[in-house]
Amino acid sequence: MTVKRSLTTYGIAFLFILALNFFLPRMMPGDPLMAIYGDEALVAMTPALKAHLVTRFALDQPLWQQFGAYISTLFRGDMGWSYFYNAGVFKVIMGSLPWTLLVVGTSLVLSTLLGIVLGIESGWRRGSRTDRALLTGLMSLNGFPDFFLGLVLLIVFGVLLGVAPLSGALTPYAGLSGLALVLDVLEHMALPVAALTAAYLAGGYLLTRNTMITVLKSPFMTTARAKGLSQKALKYRHAGRNSMLPVLTMTGIWLGRVVTGAIFVELVFAYPGVGQLTYQALLARDYPVIQGVFLMVAISVLVVNFAVDLLYPKLDPRVSYAR
Amino acid sequence: MLEIKDLRVSYGSDVILNGLDLELADGETLAIIGESGTGKTTLGMSIMRLAEARVQGSIRFKGQELLSLSEREMQAIRWNRIAMVFQNVNNVLNPVYSIIDQVAEPMTEHKLRKKGEARARAAELLAQFGLPQKRFSAYPHQLSGGEQQRALLAMALANDPDLLILDEPLSSLDVTTREELCALLEEIDGHRAKLVITHDLDTASRLSEKLAVLYGGRIIEIGPTREVLRQPRHPYTRALVRAYPNMTTVKDLQGIKGRMNRLVSGCPFHPRCTQAVEQCSREIPPLARSLGRWVACHRGGIVTLLSVADLSKSFDSLKAVDSVSLHIEAGETLALVGQSGSGKTTLAKIIIGLHPPSGGTVHLEDKRVARRGKDFYKRVQMIFQNPGESLSHRLSVLELVMEPMEVQEIGTKEQRRQKAARTIEEVELPQTEAFLNTYPHHLSGGELQRVAIARALVLDPELLIADEPTAFLDASVAAKILKLLLNLQERRGLSLLYITHDIAAARKVSDRIAVMLEGRIIEEGPSNEIVTAPRQAYTRRLLSSASALHDFDNTSISH
Amino acid sequence: MHVSLKKEIKQSYIGQAGLIILLLVVALAVLAPFLSQYNPVQQSAASLLSPSPSHWLGTNQVGQDIWSQLLYGARTSLLVGFGVGILGVVLGIIFGVSAALIGGLYDRIVMRIVDAFIVIPMIVVVILVAAYIRPDLAVLILLLALLSWQGAARVIRAQALSLKEMGHINASRTFGASRFYLAWRHIVPDLGPILLVEFIYGVRRAVFIEAGLAFLGIGDPMLVSWGTMMHDAMKFSYLNVWQWWLVPAGVALSLTIIGLTFVSHAAESVLDPRLRGGAVA
Repeated sequence: MTVKRSLTTYGIAFLFILALNFFLPRMMPGDPLMAIYGDEALVAMTPALKAHLVTRFALDQPLWQQFGAYISTLFRGDMGWSYFYNAGVFKVIMGSLPWTLLVVGTSLVLSTLLGIVLGIESGWRRGSRTDRALLTGLMSLNGFPDFFLGLVLLIVFGVLLGVAPLSGALTPYAGLSGLALVLDVLEHMALPVAALTAAYLAGGYLLTRNTMITVLKSPFMTTARAKGLSQKALKYRHAGRNSMLPVLTMTGIWLGRVVTGAIFVELVFAYPGVGQLTYQALLARDYPVIQGVFLMVAISVLVVNFAVDLLYPKLDPRVSYAR
Repeated sequence: MLEIKDLRVSYGSDVILNGLDLELADGETLAIIGESGTGKTTLGMSIMRLAEARVQGSIRFKGQELLSLSEREMQAIRWNRIAMVFQNVNNVLNPVYSIIDQVAEPMTEHKLRKKGEARARAAELLAQFGLPQKRFSAYPHQLSGGEQQRALLAMALANDPDLLILDEPLSSLDVTTREELCALLEEIDGHRAKLVITHDLDTASRLSEKLAVLYGGRIIEIGPTREVLRQPRHPYTRALVRAYPNMTTVKDLQGIKGRMNRLVSGCPFHPRCTQAVEQCSREIPPLARSLGRWVACHRGGIVTLLSVADLSKSFDSLKAVDSVSLHIEAGETLALVGQSGSGKTTLAKIIIGLHPPSGGTVHLEDKRVARRGKDFYKRVQMIFQNPGESLSHRLSVLELVMEPMEVQEIGTKEQRRQKAARTIEEVELPQTEAFLNTYPHHLSGGELQRVAIARALVLDPELLIADEPTAFLDASVAAKILKLLLNLQERRGLSLLYITHDIAAARKVSDRIAVMLEGRIIEEGPSNEIVTAPRQAYTRRLLSSASALHDFDNTSISH
Repeated sequence: MHVSLKKEIKQSYIGQAGLIILLLVVALAVLAPFLSQYNPVQQSAASLLSPSPSHWLGTNQVGQDIWSQLLYGARTSLLVGFGVGILGVVLGIIFGVSAALIGGLYDRIVMRIVDAFIVIPMIVVVILVAAYIRPDLAVLILLLALLSWQGAARVIRAQALSLKEMGHINASRTFGASRFYLAWRHIVPDLGPILLVEFIYGVRRAVFIEAGLAFLGIGDPMLVSWGTMMHDAMKFSYLNVWQWWLVPAGVALSLTIIGLTFVSHAAESVLDPRLRGGAVA
């Protein structure tokens, strides 16, 4: 894909996201201000503030001008104000973001790596008992929605066995620091990460396995065997290196899925990340926060996708940007 | 260095190699010729133990039995002692690593060199094979076919193996690259043995000094390359050379009847062989020494059908035939070229028994021919210059063709009729009632000659003597008759003694040419050699005055 | 091209297993009124009862029979699933085939839009929309279909492009056939296996998203859904009720998705001939 094509595609996606964010509230019946801020918030506003906001968002102007106003506020970094938290949306999101990044990042890396390794091993032994077991097992695992997995893990390890914390990212009011702090964090993120990783493991696994099956039939594998290379070299350096390419291209798209999975998982574990934030916002109809989260999530997915597109030729020399 | 005995390789129920024997000495280059599906790639892969098939038999490399080694031990041998240059197809090299990395890889993997050294040595090898330095870091898909072939060769030599197996090393390369690579391959160290696997006779003749022919999963002929190609001793080898368009041979192309079928009992070639006997369908012939060559044939290779020794014939004081010695092999065409009065027709008539010889002997397949009875005429037949004269005008076409069977008292009337009809079809004549009942004086020259040929063929002879068969025919008709004879040879394995004054025609239909002058054979040999490198002055005169398309200023238009 | 989808699925153990599971779920959904005795949305007894002979899985926090909910929940999932699956494939055919046949600027525009939508994470958009508009069944199906046809369109377009170049299409053209005729008579029938595979993918995604939305509490409150069951049950995880409330719903949902996954795995080898040849996998 050429850089130009990539940009156009992402550009259209970005525009769609902005448009959606813009039009949804304005399509609802009633006062657009209520749609933007939520009915609860409106109660707390003074008439002066309401008037100020109307001007700010050009709500009494024609639609296209409103859109312009919307875009310009966004680019100024102003994502709105959350009355629920009584703070700027951006600040609110930033407060929760690190936890989500921690969990999502770890899960994405773990599930991708583990998926690749398992896929390589499975593909190498196609048809064997190990392969069949892995295939059936992982496909079944994939069928469990992340929230159900999370719940099951919570109940088994948290309620029944009592070995894992039931909620939160830290033990509250513990005042820990240093190594103890790190351990505490790890303890609290173990189950959420486990749930997310398990739920999304199958994607990478299946793709790698399928690619592996095809790659193993290639002529260069015979050449590699003729060179007298060890099994490990054949499996990983030759077949594996080729088989993991499709997985890497999907990383951007999978990020989207893992992030949305985080919403569910954080809800289950009451983990104070962006997902939990979203859920609370949904309950409270805190539209600015919902929109803010949506915007950030969507844009980061786009950015990661774009980055993967740019980086991919480095990994696969057959692909180059045709200018 | 390499000794293969009774190698059997099968994929499931598909038997690819069926008892293959081969020997390769140090420093020797052996080419294995086989058409597609004969198992030559499987052979290469089996030596490296890469074939995912059932392998039985024995492959000894420097005294060590490879088939009994564990996978681990085999890994140590691969590339270090035996290396393979695979067929240059897409994706034969890993697309995600540069070629210099891939050339260096076997050196580091087998712990022969450290990373830096390996890379340096890889660069040396690539340069040695003519790759420019800036291509060293290129990826396989960025290389041209020729460059990739060079990279494959350099990679194969990375660990300095003792045995190099090359699978179609020169295919899909342009002319200049071919020449360069041939030269490079020759330069490779003398002590290294090379096994070249190919279907291409040109490649085999360029690269090897010994040639083995693979058919039906077995080696059926081995010998020095030049000799095997010049004078093949196995019917298949001969047919292969005849089928291969090249700038050396001059005879028109001929195919091999039938198709290769793996599931035959006995000799794998026997369904397509024109000199097969009963034993051939029962027992597999072993590779045996015969006339300085190794041939797998129950009959010891191509059979000599007819031989005459010191044959002479004098009419009063005129020596028409003066001490002539010749032989004709089964399934080949010997052209006897000479001008009128050279004695060629007399010689033919002696052979067929129309003139008794004054001296000398005639042998039909090692048995001396004294009186010629029905048995002789069942095997040797003749057609004459003027078919109008040689066919009785009182008999219809069908009756003419049935006559030899009547004389020989073969079969019932109905069987003769059917056989006659089939033979008439074989010579490409119509089989309508009308035509079968036509009399000779209604037929054209070409049709007459075909009837004559049908008549000669109806007894299924092995040798057909054709005395100037196209003398009375127009060129276009003559061409068809000659083609018919070639087809009959291809189909029936018919031997042909083709007597003519026209050396231009002779070279198109003959395997060998004998030049006759004043009753003596002055020169004889493979047709392409006689025509391109004649030794006798008379032969040269014959050639220069033979038909050619001349320019106005008397130089002939030729290539 | 002449690969039988039925054969591929039949030959694979995984495919057969998936098919059996799906048939079971469908049977439960269809036979729901006969297999349960209560109306799932009506209160039929006291809250949070344990399983008993009259209430096989007990009751939930407002006294509704859980077993009935489980069965009727299957209906919701399957309805949404199949609805989105079919609609998605139809849209995919319309845009994919037209893009392939018409080509030119139209093709480029459609493909640009398709690529753009594939990159956007669907669930996030759905959550956003659901936050504003509480979608009922029909709107939900429409919304999900609008966001998921792009994947199918891309694959269909690729296949249509290669079919377009085939001999018999060109032959029909020489008879003066219109593009619509070509599409309807020649291209769409040959797309069979691919359509089925994309359909199954669509069903699977839709079932998952519907349940997820319900789990977050932003689904249609009038619908009986496994997601809603899990959402409600979650609040009571400290009690024992999860055993017969949360788990059956979760397992039912998971099994349905697993069944779909298995069948799609077997069917995938139709799309990619290089994967064929494994009896199990």
